[in-house]
Amino acid sequence: MDVSQYLEIFIDETKEHLQNLSDQLMVLEQEPENMDVINEIFRAAHSLKGMAGTMGFKRMQRLTHDMENVFQEIRSENMKVESELIDVLFRALDALEAYLNEIMETANEGTEENEEIVNTLNAIAAKATGKEAPEQAAKAPEGGKEETSADSGDGEGEAKYQSISISDFEKHTFEKAQNDNQNIFGITVSLQESCILKAARAFLVFKALEELGEVIKAVPSVQDIEDEKFEMDFSLLYFTKESLETVKNAIESVSEVKHAVVGIYTLPDLHTSDSAVEKPETKVEEPEVKEPVAKAPVAAQQAVKKQGAKPAQKTAQKNAQQKTAKPTVGRTVRVDIEKLDVLMNLVSELIIAKNGIVSTSSADEESRLNSALNEQIEYLESVTTNLHESVMKVRMVPIESVVNRFPRMIRDLTKKLGKKMELHMSGEETELDRTVIDEIGDPLQHLLRNSADHGLESNEERIALGKDEVGHIYLDAYQDGNNVNIEVRDDGAGINVEKVRNKAIEKGTITPEQAEAMTDKEIIDLLFRPSFSTAEQITDVSGRGVGLDVVKTKIEGLGGNIECKTEMGEGSSFIIRLPLTLAIIQALMVELGTEKYAIPLGNIQTIEDIPFSEVKHVQTKEVINLRDAVIPLIRLDKILDVEPGEFKPESLTVVIVSKGDKQAGLVVDNLIGQQEIVIKSIGDYINCSKLIGGATILGDGEIALILEVNTLV
Amino acid sequence: MDDINDVQNVEVASEGKQYIVVHLGSEQYGIDIKYIDNIVRMSKITRIPMSQKYFKGVINLRGEIIPVMSLRLKFDLVPDEYTNATRIIIIKLESQSAIGIIVDEVKEVVTLDEASIEKPNSADANDIRMQYLSGVGKHVDGLITLLNISSVINDKEKEMV
Repeated sequence: MDVSQYLEIFIDETKEHLQNLSDQLMVLEQEPENMDVINEIFRAAHSLKGMAGTMGFKRMQRLTHDMENVFQEIRSENMKVESELIDVLFRALDALEAYLNEIMETANEGTEENEEIVNTLNAIAAKATGKEAPEQAAKAPEGGKEETSADSGDGEGEAKYQSISISDFEKHTFEKAQNDNQNIFGITVSLQESCILKAARAFLVFKALEELGEVIKAVPSVQDIEDEKFEMDFSLLYFTKESLETVKNAIESVSEVKHAVVGIYTLPDLHTSDSAVEKPETKVEEPEVKEPVAKAPVAAQQAVKKQGAKPAQKTAQKNAQQKTAKPTVGRTVRVDIEKLDVLMNLVSELIIAKNGIVSTSSADEESRLNSALNEQIEYLESVTTNLHESVMKVRMVPIESVVNRFPRMIRDLTKKLGKKMELHMSGEETELDRTVIDEIGDPLQHLLRNSADHGLESNEERIALGKDEVGHIYLDAYQDGNNVNIEVRDDGAGINVEKVRNKAIEKGTITPEQAEAMTDKEIIDLLFRPSFSTAEQITDVSGRGVGLDVVKTKIEGLGGNIECKTEMGEGSSFIIRLPLTLAIIQALMVELGTEKYAIPLGNIQTIEDIPFSEVKHVQTKEVINLRDAVIPLIRLDKILDVEPGEFKPESLTVVIVSKGDKQAGLVVDNLIGQQEIVIKSIGDYINCSKLIGGATILGDGEIALILEVNTLV
Repeated sequence: MDDINDVQNVEVASEGKQYIVVHLGSEQYGIDIKYIDNIVRMSKITRIPMSQKYFKGVINLRGEIIPVMSLRLKFDLVPDEYTNATRIIIIKLESQSAIGIIVDEVKEVVTLDEASIEKPNSADANDIRMQYLSGVGKHVDGLITLLNISSVINDKEKEMV
């Protein structure tokens, strides 16, 4: 079978399974007795094995098979989870990841046998359960599977519909239907095992039924059936005026339907049998429930036998299915990111064109009076804005996809550094543009390693200081206006500012005189200079001197910035601010002399009119006192070398901007208004200062520069 | 591209390279035609604060933002005076974004074969301006200084204020 066309799906799904395995193993390490987790891991390993087998990746299959075996033993309580086992499993996970990477690059799993891991796994399984264990375990899953199929292959099938429970609301519908002389049928449809497109067959059944009557309820739910989340059969409650035979024939005329059991359904409370009502919807207890059903040919004997071997596995699968359903599997389409880029560019063009129309129509006297035209333009504006938002949302990815590998990393560091520490994450659901997500992983990893290695003290020191022995590292992501902030925090020793100061002098980065004059904050900022590492000991975790400056460069490359706060003895935190969107923003257009500049709206707090008399001087710097805050003024025309206009205003127009908790007032000549602008790069030929974040094309074809408020403040 | 048609197309020979001849003051410079993407008339240039002196700013060329440098300032000549003949030549080097250079006038396209190009004298190699040259072409109208266009535009002198 040619499976190459499935390769991409295989890779994506394997990634998901591996991540899931990794997450679950982390949990398992904390709660070695948690059966749900064990089942989940078993299931993930099992699916991986199946997928690898289908794709012909034998080595991968073998490794997952052995992992599955071990968990089979744990599930049957023949052995316990120990930390030694977890370590091996993590190594196995790494090996699987290596296979996957190899497959991604070469479409081949490579030749690494990982003999040692396989042997260790087998040895562990054997040790715990005696010699026969491996073989037994190897057989168990297959055995289970066969029985599953044998089960649904049983003769006439079972009238599982009897076990459908109904709510009060539905009862009402039932009574109505009865009054209406409709027949209420329960139907259980079984598909052939060979059926591949189960959902499609189910759909055909539904379609056939809906021609004759009305489907009231389905178990599993219609959504689950559409998503193929059912085994070989599903049950329905059905109202129709047709006869039982007609309905049965209609269903069985759909191909690949093995058989349909159709019977009159009676309301459970009219009936004295309470088994159907009491029965929860989970099918775990199926065997017992089946027994009271008269038609069920399944002998009690068989049911008992099944209970032994099968339910465990079935439970696992059921649980697993419920779990995977957690992110309600919607209908999705995988799209190449490049196609989205093209789409985004087109939206940008559209917005430029729209701005063009807006500016011509407002310049032209005649069309300004034409209200119909204005209405249409307003409509166009709202459509383009919405279009932009939608495209942007499509490009947004939760940050989870980057940070979910960190718990594992911290776990490994715990072992490597011999420090106990815990990672607490929040805001994993915060979304960022895909391009940012792709780039942010390394800087975050670096910061976390930094915190783990340099930030946190050793366990002994912590105890001596009266702190919790276990170090805590926090990774918080949250949205703040037009920015997304990601904070990496630790409760370690904090940065020793004096040490940094001395180090900087020693390295010749600054002179002793400069060092005297610098504030603590400025000293800390030195850490972001190239080749500046204060770690006394260079470890292989961090501290090669190529550190924070790389992080900073990367983040600035994404249009963001990074800031460090620290408190001796309390810990330090690194705050990364990233723009929510990269391409299109709302901005305030201002005039300086004859030039136009754009200030991103997200940075702006207020706009104030300040009389000259209120401008105060503090250390030769101009400041204003606004609502009890002293805000420094920035004369944009001076900074940007703008030729002063002739017009001399009586007061200053000040745009108050903020970065984090810092504020500044930008003095401008004139305000033009708010506008949606498309950010374009001005290329890398020009050595422009960091004050300019890019340029944008205005409606009249003119270019306005975008001010980078984060560097101004 | 309209402006290229204005240029008198003197020779199209089978051998040799084609150069666009531009005027800068009293001198003639030749630019290899294969790097030229477009020639446009002077349009509004938006100044970029604190950039290198010879960068006049950016222009909007059909929705693209393109930086523009003054060849005169780059070569330490007297600053440009924009006239009706002033043109911006849009240069596009492989795998680099486009850049415009301002010239006084675009004169013609000439074809020079190997024999009529003299390589720069290595003794002059220390002269800063020499690094921008790839040779001197001999033509009926006189000598044409051939520009090494990639060194002209890729030379990022740090002239931050």
